[in-house]
Amino acid sequence: MNKISTGKFSIEDLENVQITINNIVGAIETKAEEEGIEIGPTPKPGISALREWDYKLLSRYQPVYTPVCDQCCYCTFGKCDLGGNKEGACGINMAAHQAREFLLRVITGAAAHSGHGRHILHHLIEIHGRDHPIDVGPSNLLAPNTQLVTGIIPKTLGDLETVMDYVEEQLTQLLATIHMGQEGSALDFESKALHGGMLDHVGMEVSDIAQVSCMGMPKSDPETPLAEIGMGCIDSTKPVLLVIGHNVAGVTYIMDYMKEHNLEDKIELAGLCCTAIDMTRYKTDKRSQPRAKVIGTLAKELKMIRSAAPDVIVVDEQCVRADVLDEAKRLFIPVITTNEKIMYGLPNRSNDSADRIIEDLSSGKEAGALILDFDLLGEVAPRLAMKMAPIREAKGIKSLPSEEEMKTLTAACVQCGACEVVCPNNLPIMNAMKAAVEGDLTKFEKLHDHCIACGRCDPVCPKDIPILNVIEKAAQKVIREEKGKMRAGRGQISDPEIREEGVNLVMGTTPGIVAMVGCSNYPEGTKDLYTVANEMLQRNYIVVMSGCSAMDLGMYKDEDGQTLYEKYPAKFLAGNLINVGSCVSNSHITGTAIKVAAIFAQRNITGNYEEIADYIMNRIGAVGVAWGAYSQKASSIATGCNRLGIPVIVGPHGSKYRRALIGRPYNEQDWKVYDARNGEEMPIPASPEFLLTTAETIEELMPMIAKNCIRPSDNNMGRMIKLTHYIELSQKYLGHMPEDWYKFVRTETDLPLAKREELLKILEQEHGWEIDWKRKKIISGPIMKMDVSAQPTNVKRLCKESVC
Amino acid sequence: MLMVDTTKNTMVHTTWGTRSAKPVQPLVAAKLISKAKRPLLVVGSEILESDVLSKAIALGKKGLQIAATGHSIQGFKNQEVNAKYINIHFLAHYLSDKNWKGLDGNGSYDLLIFLGHKLYYMDQVLSGIKNFTDIKTLAIDRRYSQNADMSFGNLKPEDHLAALDELIANI
Repeated sequence: MNKISTGKFSIEDLENVQITINNIVGAIETKAEEEGIEIGPTPKPGISALREWDYKLLSRYQPVYTPVCDQCCYCTFGKCDLGGNKEGACGINMAAHQAREFLLRVITGAAAHSGHGRHILHHLIEIHGRDHPIDVGPSNLLAPNTQLVTGIIPKTLGDLETVMDYVEEQLTQLLATIHMGQEGSALDFESKALHGGMLDHVGMEVSDIAQVSCMGMPKSDPETPLAEIGMGCIDSTKPVLLVIGHNVAGVTYIMDYMKEHNLEDKIELAGLCCTAIDMTRYKTDKRSQPRAKVIGTLAKELKMIRSAAPDVIVVDEQCVRADVLDEAKRLFIPVITTNEKIMYGLPNRSNDSADRIIEDLSSGKEAGALILDFDLLGEVAPRLAMKMAPIREAKGIKSLPSEEEMKTLTAACVQCGACEVVCPNNLPIMNAMKAAVEGDLTKFEKLHDHCIACGRCDPVCPKDIPILNVIEKAAQKVIREEKGKMRAGRGQISDPEIREEGVNLVMGTTPGIVAMVGCSNYPEGTKDLYTVANEMLQRNYIVVMSGCSAMDLGMYKDEDGQTLYEKYPAKFLAGNLINVGSCVSNSHITGTAIKVAAIFAQRNITGNYEEIADYIMNRIGAVGVAWGAYSQKASSIATGCNRLGIPVIVGPHGSKYRRALIGRPYNEQDWKVYDARNGEEMPIPASPEFLLTTAETIEELMPMIAKNCIRPSDNNMGRMIKLTHYIELSQKYLGHMPEDWYKFVRTETDLPLAKREELLKILEQEHGWEIDWKRKKIISGPIMKMDVSAQPTNVKRLCKESVC
Repeated sequence: MLMVDTTKNTMVHTTWGTRSAKPVQPLVAAKLISKAKRPLLVVGSEILESDVLSKAIALGKKGLQIAATGHSIQGFKNQEVNAKYINIHFLAHYLSDKNWKGLDGNGSYDLLIFLGHKLYYMDQVLSGIKNFTDIKTLAIDRRYSQNADMSFGNLKPEDHLAALDELIANI
């Protein structure tokens, strides 16, 4: 029997009949088989396929629940008080409900990325066709997460559809488990959450490799151009077109229209959130200057709108405030929604003429429009911006109070503290008001950076002071100076780069990868990111940025006026600073770890999740930091890292995700693995000592990062380097020698060189270790042995002498 | 003599459940601490930004063992108090383990006193302790903390310092 292939076919003798076959079930798997690709044990895993691996993780890293609410209100049995771990009417207890709540966050985040992925894939296939090749740069391993999880090795856009089919089906199954009743085990909800996190990285990967392949975005380029960033870089003497969201598909039409009609110098095109990042990636693969400016993160949305600078606002999806239309309406700024996820109740004008839409919006007849036709959007948005700017200028529209009004407003404050109670960061607003009355605005200027512009303070003020506007007005001087540089996202780390650096990561001589990702809900303002990245770069860690963190990092300069992006090179090498790109580019961070296993260690990754996660967990010193995490997406990104054994630290607001995964270093039996050479148990250091946790301040965070980059596979040089950083950072930021430093010592050569003798004395005197002082060698004491050829694994079946 | 009424203002931003912290006067709080067999003062990094650090040191000098979370340990250097660094999320986790030996190896604790924290963070930690342990909790920060068993109400900074003085004097 002849094999059917995809494509378009005509049938003889039948005129005007053409058959199109887009997809053949199992075709990709059959092709892989024909090409001799070995498929691992879990291609396209269902919910239970990796449950044993999850249970291994969860036995070492136990869930720690911190409920946001003691009640469950999921069904009409309730609401039920689950306080004190009681059971509700359906039988679920607090622990299981919290695990379910966490799962819901994870799959919401995964659905946001995957929904984005499906949308952009559908859009790009419509333009380029299913056979358009995936091209992400000089790599053979094009889609590491996809290949690892699904066993599919995608080569074309069409192949990615099959991948998305799998992700969507699994997300639906996971969502079904949220329904009342059913699952009663907290641990099984946790396993499902880990499954959701894993799917998220596949969904993100599809989104990004599709757009990188088709939109002229940089392809693993270590020298991408620098983009302007900050509220201060916006030239509001020109018409300002503001774009907010995460899905750049529609915005590219605006950019192309502006180029074709020579409007690039006439209109200020600026973006907020990840759409802004992807605008700076669009058609910059030849290293041309980005065609748009970046304002910043969600924390800048309300501030930017209330500055009254935008003449038109275009939104797409995800991290966009729900009140953009209401806020914009007050300032006569028309809003265009371009994606079914956000429609704000606006009329659908997708089939209308550009002239009529522009007329209705510029006259104020309509506050905005839903435009799903991107060709139409591309024309309407810039033309409308050109038309609105003089109209709004003539109307003299402003939002912020005048100097005189400021005095009256601040004097009206009665110091009741209601604003401070509702402020997510309990910022000292009363003090700033008091100081402003006396003419001191410095306290407000400081608040501006700490304020996430949520606007919760405004409605609770008994004196109706528009507090957010007061903060912004008082900080005008600081805002004008907010001008920085951000390196445009480069996409994946390429295979050749992994070949060069993989060995250093596994041996520990590059002390680790610090991936600073996620959103802008920082506990102490944006500068913390700069401080952490700068410290870790100086210590030769590879610092990888993405999303909102990538933007905020570019806002600060050193004493020479340079941002860290200008100061540090962007290769995948020790001491380099990389921006992979937008939110969906986070998949390249896990992808990098998978590539190390595939390329450096020559492990088969195809459908072989457990083995590769086990490899990463025991060998690759990587720590994720989502310092300002607020979104559900941040929880799903972190959870996807966790299933691969990569630990993640979130800022203190992250405690509101409701659960952490933390180990107990004092339980020695929890810190053992097998030696794959013979199946014997071997002790390992308690690192990572968590998979997901919070830190309170960056001073606490930095030693935590260094410590949790330690891995069993470190060679002596690697361990010495990592231990040196852990000790030095503890001394520098906590002012003490960490209590547990000696637990990471296997031989005297693991000790920091400059302090070796001093530390040997401490080991002898305080911990009773036996030291040969003539040779300056440790005779006895360490729990762990140094064995360079040991093969640490958590998975018994991977051992040569396995009894299983 | 009552110096500051620490029970008046218990305004919260949102509710957390059916059980709220009982507002407590400094004198009552002092008695609770005095009566506890294994009290632990849990001090957060906000302490370094305020005049409250001296009060925490004074409590430490009264013999209270201190769990210094975040980077608050900096404030206890050379102060001759029994303070040890621990991540507050880890602490919440270890406290749920009856086999944990405590910071000093002498076992877990029966009363936790919280001072110098970010309210939202502390309340999450307290939520975990409230729902999954039997340990009593007392919040003596200047903001009402609903998830503690007992808490001061919302206080102005100067009233808070006076309340802490009263508490310390009565231990």
